[in-house]
Amino acid sequence: MGRMKFLCDIERCIDCSGCVVACKEGHHIPVGVNRRRVITINQGKPGEKSISVACMHCADAPCIAVCPVDAIYQRDDGIVLVSKDTCIGCGYCFMACPFGAPQFPSGQVFGARGAMDKCTFCAGGPEETFSEKEKTLYGQNRIAEGKVPLCAAMCATKSLLAGDADEVADVYRERVFKRGSGTNAWGWDKAYKK
Amino acid sequence: MKKLILPGCILFWAMAALAIAQSQGQLLTSFSPGPSTAAFHEINGLFTGDWQQYGQLFTSLQSKLFSQIFLLVITVVPLIFLLHYIVIGPMVFSHEGKQVYYFNLFARCIHWVAGISFALLVITGLLIIFGSWVGGGTLPRSGRIVHLISAVVFSGSAVFMLLIWAKDMIFTPYDFLWMLILGGYLSKEKKPVPAGRFNAGQKCWFWLATMGGAAMAVTGYFLYSFQGSPDTLRLSAIIHNALGAVMVAVFFVHLYMSLFAIKGAIHSMISGYKPEAELKILHPRFKI
Repeated sequence: MGRMKFLCDIERCIDCSGCVVACKEGHHIPVGVNRRRVITINQGKPGEKSISVACMHCADAPCIAVCPVDAIYQRDDGIVLVSKDTCIGCGYCFMACPFGAPQFPSGQVFGARGAMDKCTFCAGGPEETFSEKEKTLYGQNRIAEGKVPLCAAMCATKSLLAGDADEVADVYRERVFKRGSGTNAWGWDKAYKK
Repeated sequence: MKKLILPGCILFWAMAALAIAQSQGQLLTSFSPGPSTAAFHEINGLFTGDWQQYGQLFTSLQSKLFSQIFLLVITVVPLIFLLHYIVIGPMVFSHEGKQVYYFNLFARCIHWVAGISFALLVITGLLIIFGSWVGGGTLPRSGRIVHLISAVVFSGSAVFMLLIWAKDMIFTPYDFLWMLILGGYLSKEKKPVPAGRFNAGQKCWFWLATMGGAAMAVTGYFLYSFQGSPDTLRLSAIIHNALGAVMVAVFFVHLYMSLFAIKGAIHSMISGYKPEAELKILHPRFKI
């Protein structure tokens, strides 16, 4: 069994936010919830770098450890999913997560948070695969269709890689051998012979 | 004046050229990328912040310790009381003799509003902590709503409790003596204990319920509204849970004392009267 992972190549990410839009649009995610976001450092300055971030599908995930109702679980392939029927919206997973991945829609009774929503690695949820309920609650199930997650599939520069951890690591390793990384990476100096 | 224009222009262009040359140099050198590790270091700062500080603390506490502490509180504390009831037994006072008016109607009303809302807070709070026992979903989710409403009601009544009882609840030197003998509850003898209108135990409970209640209200506001930084939320959750465990334990003490340990003590909160025989032993310094 493979182990699913995301990897964002910061030498390639151009901060186009296509992954964010693809995810939001593809899963009909409500306003105020962002399963994926792009962080940019040194924006507009030399040394600008961007990275696309969603749930990291951690091994030994802290969100699973703190959930008081055991609503979050991990599949055999490492994908961390939430059962929205079980979730009570307490927000502990958000406090435990180092990456701010768990999101909460608002606008319920007394301003209570709704059930937690986060990146599903496009693997749906605990409901029956391809069922209407799965689609409304969790969005598409592209993994069951044999496709990579939307964000990685549409990434224009192919900086966002998703899939089996070994495969992803191989792709990245080959890239780094070819173009170098960090100070050795192809960049302006290569492009402008400087 | 005209003599100044040409040198002025020359100076201006020289300065501009210098500035461009300087920035050009900077631009050219700085476009060479820095090491990836440095970039990741910076990204991690934005990304996870100092998760290691409170995030890790919260995760390790919440994953096991808090629910274990609460489990201990709701099992061991009642067991200790059962043991106390069997070994030492309750204090029994005659309710026949002279009765003293102890709690007026307003105080009793406030007490019961606070009492019922607090009981609901405890029940729904435990429902959230042990939510996995009922499989999550609707029950603990509605428990959260009840928790919020009860919290608002209790906060209101706690303000009134402060107003009507605070001056009787100020600690006095003999409270220390009361604490040393644990209010005489560890012996079967009925000797007068050093206590005024309220004993040291009641005072502790009062200040825990009001001041601790205020702390619970503030941290609870953060937890419910999700206002504030993740670190504020993590600290709030830690304080809310730790203080909650203490308050639940002391709430059980209060329940045991009023319902079992002193026979018929609960009637003083219903009718407002306490028997004089009880006051002579438990509140001898109270001036009738």
